[in-house]
Amino acid sequence: MAFPGRKKRPARVLFAAILFIVFYFFLFPYPLGKELVAHPRWAVAVPDQPPAPGEPFATAGGPGISSWQLGDRFGFVQEDGMLLYSGRAPYRVALSSSGFVSYARLGTDWILRDRTGRLVAGFPVSGYPLLSPDGRRVFSVKTDLSGLIELDRGGGALWDRDFPTMITSISVQQDLALVGLLNGTLVLLDRAGAPVLEYAPGGSRVAVIAGDAVSPNGSRIAAVCGIDPQYLVVLRRTDTGYEAESRERLPSAFRREVRMGFSPDSRWVFLEGASGPGVYDPARRSMRWLNLPGPLAAASSARFGRVAAFASLDSGGVTLALEPPGGIAVCREHFTAGRVFLGTINGQLLAGWDGTLARIDVEEL
Amino acid sequence: MAHRSRAPRRALAVLIALGLCCAERAAALDWPVAARMITGTFGEDRGDHFHNGIDIGGGGQPVHPVLDGEVVFRYDDGTDYTSLPRGTGSFIVLRHDPHIRTLYAHLQAGSLGPVRDRYAANDRIGAIGETGHASGPHLHFAVFDEETGSALNPLEFLPPVPDHQAPVIRRLYARVGDRLVPLDNGAVLKPGKTSIVAETYDLREDVAFRWPLAPVSATISLDGRDVSRISFDSLQVAGGHMSAGAARLAREQVWEPGGLLICGTLDLKPGDSALRLSVQDLAGNEAVRAVSITVSP
Repeated sequence: MAFPGRKKRPARVLFAAILFIVFYFFLFPYPLGKELVAHPRWAVAVPDQPPAPGEPFATAGGPGISSWQLGDRFGFVQEDGMLLYSGRAPYRVALSSSGFVSYARLGTDWILRDRTGRLVAGFPVSGYPLLSPDGRRVFSVKTDLSGLIELDRGGGALWDRDFPTMITSISVQQDLALVGLLNGTLVLLDRAGAPVLEYAPGGSRVAVIAGDAVSPNGSRIAAVCGIDPQYLVVLRRTDTGYEAESRERLPSAFRREVRMGFSPDSRWVFLEGASGPGVYDPARRSMRWLNLPGPLAAASSARFGRVAAFASLDSGGVTLALEPPGGIAVCREHFTAGRVFLGTINGQLLAGWDGTLARIDVEEL
Repeated sequence: MAHRSRAPRRALAVLIALGLCCAERAAALDWPVAARMITGTFGEDRGDHFHNGIDIGGGGQPVHPVLDGEVVFRYDDGTDYTSLPRGTGSFIVLRHDPHIRTLYAHLQAGSLGPVRDRYAANDRIGAIGETGHASGPHLHFAVFDEETGSALNPLEFLPPVPDHQAPVIRRLYARVGDRLVPLDNGAVLKPGKTSIVAETYDLREDVAFRWPLAPVSATISLDGRDVSRISFDSLQVAGGHMSAGAARLAREQVWEPGGLLICGTLDLKPGDSALRLSVQDLAGNEAVRAVSITVSP
């Protein structure tokens, strides 16, 4: 028995469904991710000659001032590209976002200066200076790398702590100072110099701490430790202290200090790898390695920490890579230069190479 | 009387055993350089720390490991990344045993050569330089025992250098409050705790001028009985501070400004006593100063 009317129904249904889908996509479009582009804001030449003593470049501005360092040249620049200070270190310089100590190899007195070169305090000590990123804490590192002293602004010792073996790496953030030791132990010191944590990750044939980092908010600490095998360990702060969050076996066997750090939001760890930098998410335990043509020479971030910035240096020059962790590369540029610096200014990238400083903003297209 | 720490003896045994296994030479360990010009000794006062090794002069000399070893850590000044200022300049740390490590510091920048994992005893590590906090070219050589957390006196492990030069005791003092009272025969002191301080040093045999080095030990005896001893055989951290010898004395308890050695603290009782200070170097040369003192209430 035939039902002639029923043959047309599937075609109508199909047409209605297609119409619905088309309207659905028009009415509720799925937002595509916006493309990120690197947008150079300004570039300035770093002057060859520093100002005469007592002649700062400009008076200190407001927020958005960053320090920079290219070899023995260093200084401070404003977010609009105005140089506040440019100097040359007689030996080395300890830099923070608020000041610096430029010191001689054998000098016993240091002078802490602000971002325009004005004298802040003098320190009659026999170690070498180290400043916290914000410049509020001043340390003297004993020259044999056996200990650390925190100084007050009068040059007196707030605390003095020795370690049973050589210091291999230090990271300071706010009230925390993380010290890596030659014997493979991490020592986390509080504001009074008392150990909050002493942790030996172990598990390797040779114990050593090759690099360490405290996250900006102190919620995590990380270290590259051991040889054969080498590990990345990340510890997370809990109510009672710090506990191991993840441990990642690395393909490297560095027998020197490894460049590493946290993203500004403390979510990501970046570290130097055997063939390029790695970006590690401790919460997901996922590592992403980037291939760069030379050894990692500098690392920082842009777009308020959401885009990682790496620079490698080889005989052909500098390769700059901007990549959001877990995202698509923003850019990868190669240019001729002999040295490179990466920092942040107002949440965006401050890059320096040879005699040039530039601000590069990463923005949505 | 304090006893010598066990750490150096254990490390010595390990190092000699390693040396005999690894090297087919008459001596178990060898000097890291050919010309053995010692310009600084273990335990000296360096302002904010004890000197944790020895200094060997002779700029530009090739530096070799004292034993076959594996590189644990290296730093090439001006080339390698660093998160802290390194007064050691360019250096290499080698591992000879799970716990024994040796440090070769202030090497010439760029002399470390390509990165490698191991060095044989006759390989060249680098050259003596003055990178880092060094006033003149020299090698800073140190031995660490990571098991005990000690720095050990390297001169206890290296082949002995001929040394017939006795240490010198120039002056002897008693610390009374904030004053140093010269201790000569017939000196009168008050009863109670009194520190005995000496201007004393060891001398290098190979130079005619005064080049003061720290001695290896100083012992005070009172009426023939040893009452205090300080020795620079090892440095260990105690309570967050580096301390010397088995007595675990902090730097401020051992050295006064001006390089004066605090030889010990005595609890003086009324009466006449014979006080004797004996200062020794590692070769066993000894300097003695004996004085008679009167302790009067």
